[in-house]
Amino acid sequence: MSYSLIEGYRPPGVDEMLEASGLPRPAYADLLERLERWGPEGFQTRQARADLALLNAGITFTVYADEAGTERVFPFSLVPRIVGAQEWRGIEAGLVQRVRALNLFLGDVYNEQRVLRDGVIPADIVFGSEGYNLRMVGFRPPLGVYAHIVGTDLVRDQHGRFVALEDNLRTPSGVSYVLENRTVMLRVAPDLFPEARVASVSDYPVRLRNMLNEVRPAGVSAGDVNAVILTPGAYNSAYFEHTFLAQQMGIQLVEAADLIVHDSVVYLRATSGLERVHVIYRRVDDAFLDPIAFRPDSMLGVPGLANAYRAGNVTVVNAIGTGVADDKVVFRFVPDLIRYYLGEEPIIPNVETYVGALPEDLAQIRAHLKDLVVKPANASGGYGIVIGPQASDAELAAASSAIAENPRNWIAQPLVEFSTVPTYVDGRLQPRRADLRPYVLTGETPWVLPGALTRVALKEGSYIVNSSQGGGSTDTWVLEAGDAEGVEGVEEVAAS
Amino acid sequence: MLSRVAENLYWLGRYIERAENAARMAHVEYLAAIERGGQTGDGGSFWEPLLRASGAAHAFRIAVEQDSDLSPAYFLILSEDNPNSVRSSVVQARGLARAARELISREVWEEINELHLSLLGRAEVRDEDLYDLCRAVKRSVETIIGLYDHTVLHDEGGAWFRCGLYIERADMTSRILDTKYHVLLPAVSEVGGPLDRFQWMAVLRSASAWEAFRKVYHQDISGPRVAEMLIFHPVFPRSLRFCVRALGEHFRQAAVLTPAMDRLPAERSLALLELDMAALDINRVLAIGLHEFLDDFQRRLIEVQSGLTDQIFRAIPESVA
Repeated sequence: MSYSLIEGYRPPGVDEMLEASGLPRPAYADLLERLERWGPEGFQTRQARADLALLNAGITFTVYADEAGTERVFPFSLVPRIVGAQEWRGIEAGLVQRVRALNLFLGDVYNEQRVLRDGVIPADIVFGSEGYNLRMVGFRPPLGVYAHIVGTDLVRDQHGRFVALEDNLRTPSGVSYVLENRTVMLRVAPDLFPEARVASVSDYPVRLRNMLNEVRPAGVSAGDVNAVILTPGAYNSAYFEHTFLAQQMGIQLVEAADLIVHDSVVYLRATSGLERVHVIYRRVDDAFLDPIAFRPDSMLGVPGLANAYRAGNVTVVNAIGTGVADDKVVFRFVPDLIRYYLGEEPIIPNVETYVGALPEDLAQIRAHLKDLVVKPANASGGYGIVIGPQASDAELAAASSAIAENPRNWIAQPLVEFSTVPTYVDGRLQPRRADLRPYVLTGETPWVLPGALTRVALKEGSYIVNSSQGGGSTDTWVLEAGDAEGVEGVEEVAAS
Repeated sequence: MLSRVAENLYWLGRYIERAENAARMAHVEYLAAIERGGQTGDGGSFWEPLLRASGAAHAFRIAVEQDSDLSPAYFLILSEDNPNSVRSSVVQARGLARAARELISREVWEEINELHLSLLGRAEVRDEDLYDLCRAVKRSVETIIGLYDHTVLHDEGGAWFRCGLYIERADMTSRILDTKYHVLLPAVSEVGGPLDRFQWMAVLRSASAWEAFRKVYHQDISGPRVAEMLIFHPVFPRSLRFCVRALGEHFRQAAVLTPAMDRLPAERSLALLELDMAALDINRVLAIGLHEFLDDFQRRLIEVQSGLTDQIFRAIPESVA
């Protein structure tokens, strides 16, 4: 059958929907047939209904730099991104492997420090990381878990394999969009789902709540766990997600001023008096958790929280000090950490990464600046990135001198020609680059949500998928076993 | 429950109710004025009592000095310079709902958010749109309250929300009465004319009480009867007596876990108010003076609120203080 929707669809490289031959992969063939039936009016009315549903639900994010109306709807693309069951199994195994190794690494660098003595990673890189927190030395959180919630950014590279771009171990956001995108799709495009074998994402809040119970402090029984979400407040860009998760888990959403520490026990200020808190899922950075411990000049945070944590009276999720493992410089060493701690070969390779802190890498960055993407080691949200091949001479010169000034603060990666997904533009489908952020929860054991946030660079030719920079998102379908395998498996990749 | 959140829900109830009252009063006044004939073009005159009842008369005079084209309808409904306009109340309610979102249902949140979006999109109020606009606001608020009843736990948070709702309603009914007491109780020589009758009807309609009044009083409409209905009727859901009793019931449910010493001031003010509302009658009120009675009533509501705010919502825990 021929598809009018994909006439003129010309992916610049590897595409999620079309094979190199130009034919749709089997997993997309059914979807395309159903999308064809919509016609242009069908797309328009569904898009309008989806946008209105998101707006009415207040599913918005805040753009700090934007003065007019600070709340915006996250642009939503109606065409789902599909990941086949077999390929997903590989991703799942690769993520579990990564998260296990990262948690072992965190336990090690804050305790025995074997990894440093064995020379797997230079000590000055670990101790020089902004995320390394001296307060954590000699402390081990419940179950030895530091990174309870991890969102790893993956992309499919020009060879067709998924590679890791970065691990988010501090306060990864976006999972609410995974759930809300699915809710919206079920509402406006129910006709796409029958027989598609799409894995459900709806039990994430239950799994998250169970995990928070599992990592409770010693001496608290499972039925009595008072867990809360700590938010910076209604002006934070991810506030919608904080309220969403609190609501879905049925736990209280608190601000720092609602909490009080007395004799190293954390309480919240309730109308009934003080109420003890056992687990804090915090959505604020380390620096704003406890002014006594981390920022004597700050009014923000809960004075005494770090002590209560070290006393074992409250569990902080993710642990304080996990930032050292999502440092972009430490990232370069994650494959080595997997080999070191688990004795396994990494299932998901890292994107090639050069760090300014290593002399041999720095030489490579200097020599190939024009071909590399340069990123600050300690920033997120797509800020401060210089894309060599697209940068002006002046921008390259500025980047070069910034790197010379503080090499530790910069890393560089080749420009990955990452894969495109179909998105609906002006009456037909067009390829746009997209990444994939799956989520891993770790309590007693790691669990991977069978779904992910797919962020799409909606501007033609763009590589930047961040919502703060013109990115949108789409529903991500992880297919359950028995589907038509559409996309080449990671198994091949691991072997290659 | 978190004290901060309890306070948010209380104010959510107040602002939601305030938005509905403002919309209903604007609508009733407007229709009454048209019916009386010819006054709509007459600047602020027929809006004046309404501006006073919603506490916006002073702000309006200042705003008009800045912008002589400013219409009272716009000021009462859409102006962001008027802290008691429908829009301002909805903006406040939406901010509070957003800050307490994990405690209210998705349905309640979406209705509040949609009401907010519908008002954001409006630049003007034309005479011919006034009816539909006010009706839409009223329906939306009633939907929110209905959804709150049927989709949110009837727990402490729900009780604080209803405390806010009933204290606001009591306050608003007493303000409507207070701005109209000279209409309700005119000099003897003017009593009973057709003009009075229309004005009394307008007062009743401002409080959604016209149909209920007809069912309760089979005699002619009169000022004292209107005042009696709005102050003392035991089961009319906007009367002061009804609102005070509902406020007391919801307060006792909300504060059941609050330490006794913290809830005492509000509890005491409320108990005395409930007692008076049960013991007084319209003749006693007329003897005291309607205006004096209403003035005192409003002062006592403020006392109740101070008890809630200072001793419960923002109390400093004893073990730490």
